[in-house]
Amino acid sequence: MSNETATAADPTDTAPTPPPHGLGTSLKPADARAKTEGTFPYAADLWAEGLLWAAILRSPHPHARVVSIDTSFAAAMPGVHAVVTHEDVPGDPAHGRRIADRPVFASDLVRHHGEPIAAVAADHPDTARMAAAAIAVEYEVLDPVTDPEEAFAAEPLHPDGNLIRHIPLRYGDPEAAGDVVVEGLYRIGRQDPAPIGAEAGLAVPRPDGGVELYVASTDPHADRDLAAACYGLEPSRVKVVVTGVPGATADREDPGLQLPLGLLALKTGCPVKITATREESFLGHPHRHPTLLRYRHHADAEGRLVKVEAQILLDGGAYADASSESLAAAVAFACGPYVVPHAFIEGWAVRTNNPPSGHVRGEGAMQVCAAYEAQMDKLAARIGMDPAELRLRNALATGDILPTGQTVTCPAPVAELLREVRDFPLPQLPKDTPEEDWLLPGGPEGAGEPGAVRRGVGYGLGMVHMLGAEGADEVSTATVKVKDGVATVICAAVDTGQGFATLARQIVQETLGLDEVHVAPADTDQPPAGPACRGRHTWVSGGAVERAAKMVRTQLLQPLAAKFGMSTELLQITDGKITSYDGVLSTTVMEAMDGKELWATAQCRPHPTEPLDETGQGDAFVGMAFCAVRAVVDVDVEIGAIRVVELAVAQDVGRVLNPDQLRARIEAGVTQGVGAALTENLRAPRGLVRHPDLTGYALPTALDAPDIRIVKLVEERDVVAPFGAKAASAVPVVTSPAAVAAAVRAATGRPVNRLPIRPQAAVVTSGE
Amino acid sequence: MLLPASLDEAVEALAATPAAVPVAGGTDLMTSVNSGQLRPAALVGLGRISEIRGWQYQDGHALLGAGLTHARIGRPDFAALIPALAAAARAAGPPTIRNAGTLGGNIAAGAPTGDSLPVLAALEATLIIAGPGGSLREVPVSHLLAGMDNLRAGELIGFVRVPLLHAPQVFLKATGRTGPGRSTGSVAVVLDPARRGVRCAVGAIAPMPLRPLEAEAWVASHIDWDAGRALAPEALTAFGDYVAAACIPDGTAPDGTPEQLSPAVLHLRRTVAALARRALGRALA
Repeated sequence: MSNETATAADPTDTAPTPPPHGLGTSLKPADARAKTEGTFPYAADLWAEGLLWAAILRSPHPHARVVSIDTSFAAAMPGVHAVVTHEDVPGDPAHGRRIADRPVFASDLVRHHGEPIAAVAADHPDTARMAAAAIAVEYEVLDPVTDPEEAFAAEPLHPDGNLIRHIPLRYGDPEAAGDVVVEGLYRIGRQDPAPIGAEAGLAVPRPDGGVELYVASTDPHADRDLAAACYGLEPSRVKVVVTGVPGATADREDPGLQLPLGLLALKTGCPVKITATREESFLGHPHRHPTLLRYRHHADAEGRLVKVEAQILLDGGAYADASSESLAAAVAFACGPYVVPHAFIEGWAVRTNNPPSGHVRGEGAMQVCAAYEAQMDKLAARIGMDPAELRLRNALATGDILPTGQTVTCPAPVAELLREVRDFPLPQLPKDTPEEDWLLPGGPEGAGEPGAVRRGVGYGLGMVHMLGAEGADEVSTATVKVKDGVATVICAAVDTGQGFATLARQIVQETLGLDEVHVAPADTDQPPAGPACRGRHTWVSGGAVERAAKMVRTQLLQPLAAKFGMSTELLQITDGKITSYDGVLSTTVMEAMDGKELWATAQCRPHPTEPLDETGQGDAFVGMAFCAVRAVVDVDVEIGAIRVVELAVAQDVGRVLNPDQLRARIEAGVTQGVGAALTENLRAPRGLVRHPDLTGYALPTALDAPDIRIVKLVEERDVVAPFGAKAASAVPVVTSPAAVAAAVRAATGRPVNRLPIRPQAAVVTSGE
Repeated sequence: MLLPASLDEAVEALAATPAAVPVAGGTDLMTSVNSGQLRPAALVGLGRISEIRGWQYQDGHALLGAGLTHARIGRPDFAALIPALAAAARAAGPPTIRNAGTLGGNIAAGAPTGDSLPVLAALEATLIIAGPGGSLREVPVSHLLAGMDNLRAGELIGFVRVPLLHAPQVFLKATGRTGPGRSTGSVAVVLDPARRGVRCAVGAIAPMPLRPLEAEAWVASHIDWDAGRALAPEALTAFGDYVAAACIPDGTAPDGTPEQLSPAVLHLRRTVAALARRALGRALA
């Protein structure tokens, strides 16, 4: 299968070159063709005989007391099979990944716009929607708490109180002071992960009283455990089957949609399907934390950082979700990839009645990066130093200590990354092309005028951690099976499009020398592999696949090695043939297997981390990845239109396992960062989500995406990571918004302290 | 779903099924249908009415069919005729929208951000509306957009009559991005050398396009129409500010005292001023 896809993809290649094989090659994803042609089935394409359609009634208010819910009229409508509310939840009424604080259905209080109140199953989607609308809910509307700064003093929105977590990081001498002090206040908006396919799923009841959920889950075992607790069932009687995932840059979790689906299937005894509307999708799933940051940087006259003081306030929305982890990342990386001898960082995550916040790629790290890089620009301007030079002077390196007291043991080529992007040639001005061909800010049909356009260049340096932090048990299990010369990988790690399935094939090809490798679909009958986020799967699941493959290799070669009296290490497998180092022995894999089937299962568990203590100290992270971005922007300084011309990226990747895939991941991350920098902000004045659609919420289009130049991929292997590879997706998202803001700052001379950058912040009024 | 082949048939179909909703490109209507906000009992598709999908000349005017798509209007032959309308059509959205969306639909939907609307307002276009029994009535586009004269039950916009001015016209639009997006402010400027007039309309900042009539008259009196339409650069800048101040006046509290505009509104005013200045500058260049 893989061979055909690979060769068919390149018809111009007349000589029969061998297809990409093993690590370091650009093996194509097995499903690439199906996805391109539109035949790949996603969750919304599922079908079952006799299925019912579900619809969910969501709260129109951000904060209200539920006085009464009357479902009688909806339940009596023809075609309606079941209506469920909080009274129909047999198990735990509340759920949550880390803290069970979120009700399946609101019972007495709604805490955000779009919180589920009830769900309906009917024989037609329209009937279901109409029945949901016919449920009479009486609300007593309450004043919403929408300003996170007010959450501290406001009446508790939740029995657990409004403060989700507070980290007061103390590192060094509080009395230390620098010759130069710069301060700033920064605001980061609410980015939506905006998966291209909205949430969807199918629940099928089982004869044993259990239920199967077919959903685009990114963490099937956690979703299964949530569902089982909610249904009051043993986890073994709930099965989550992962369908095609149509885009995931966040936890693809909207339990508000998945949990009612299974409830309805259990209640009706029929398969039940739901496809969320785009509006529901925007309301239900977690967003990036809107963040307020206050910074004070102290430096000496030569530009060396002396002390960083910061206050970081994350708006967690109504429920805890991933706010605690996001805050840990924000506080730990509040100074960025710089050496800071003294740091005092206060971080809070609070509850509000705003839309829910949770894990979105680069959470916590992205917000602080925009702020500390703005501070670095400010410092450079104050001292009169080149911004890149100032950054180089303070750059972190292996062996330096983070403000959490953790020593950076992994490769940290921060200075090298910055030099690479700084020294890359700048894009030419379009001087030699006719004026009407210039792509000006505002677009080809926009109002741009060359005379009003200024160009700016800015730098961003960013860092993220990889894997779960603070003592999270990071473990993954994988099984490799070989039969008839064909290998199969069985692992519950979800390929969200990030390419894990392709990587698993490459690992097995590399280890076993077999070309044909299949990856089985993921479900919860397999051992857990954990969530598909933070670049985990390359590390833990990739590591587990490699170990299992090596165990199979030993099983295969042991009898031969014993027969010839040599170690298995002296034998090698290529193109289905086993040869010894001296060429004396040569046999085929098929012969050696002799009709046997070989299985091996292995686990990978990286070395443990510890939680941050009460002063924010601790070895909380397994590994870190770094990135440098140079942004070149054009700004129409009269109307504030911004076009990102080029982003040059240099990234610390450890080792390149699949060059094409890696580049695609970096380009995708950079583009998501451009969205966060310029257009993506889900507005929710007074807690009510405005324009929950893809016209109002402007994702970058092909015209908005800049030229992305991947200048350098620094391959310094991380010795503790399997293959030495680092996660690559999150760090460009973290770094590129800061670089774009820096470039706009350079073009306009304005402070630019808010993301996304509003046009009025990029205007230069006359006289400047 | 009914698919009439002529305007008369379409009007008849609407009269026969009063609950039916007419649909042309569907770029506006279908989003409401798909999101479940609108459940029309029946649809009258206008896509097969060939008489409203073209245009013809009519004593110094162009008679544009309401079924002309943005894509068709954006083509060079059309741009030579009514340049500002062509520019607005090219800016109306991504190709998928431009291929389906129509001029008549843009008018009937009447969205504040409709890109063709300020151009039609500046051109002082007239709508020719077909009604029951083969009746035709004429309504200035501004009357319809202002709600002074609405479409009545069973009526359809058949044609739009636009004067051919044989002079430069400019449409400029500000959006929040480089790719196609909703307008945050737009300006159409058309020159009418025969009457020595300048006509300008500002879109997307109010429920309907705004005409700064005093600014138009003032700037027209300062253009030297006989010497290559020359205008002093200061007058050009003043025109932009005049238009912006006319369309976004200083705020006044209910008791009549002046009120500071919010930074966002001030920015919008600055944007309108820049667009109006650039638009007239390009028209006179």
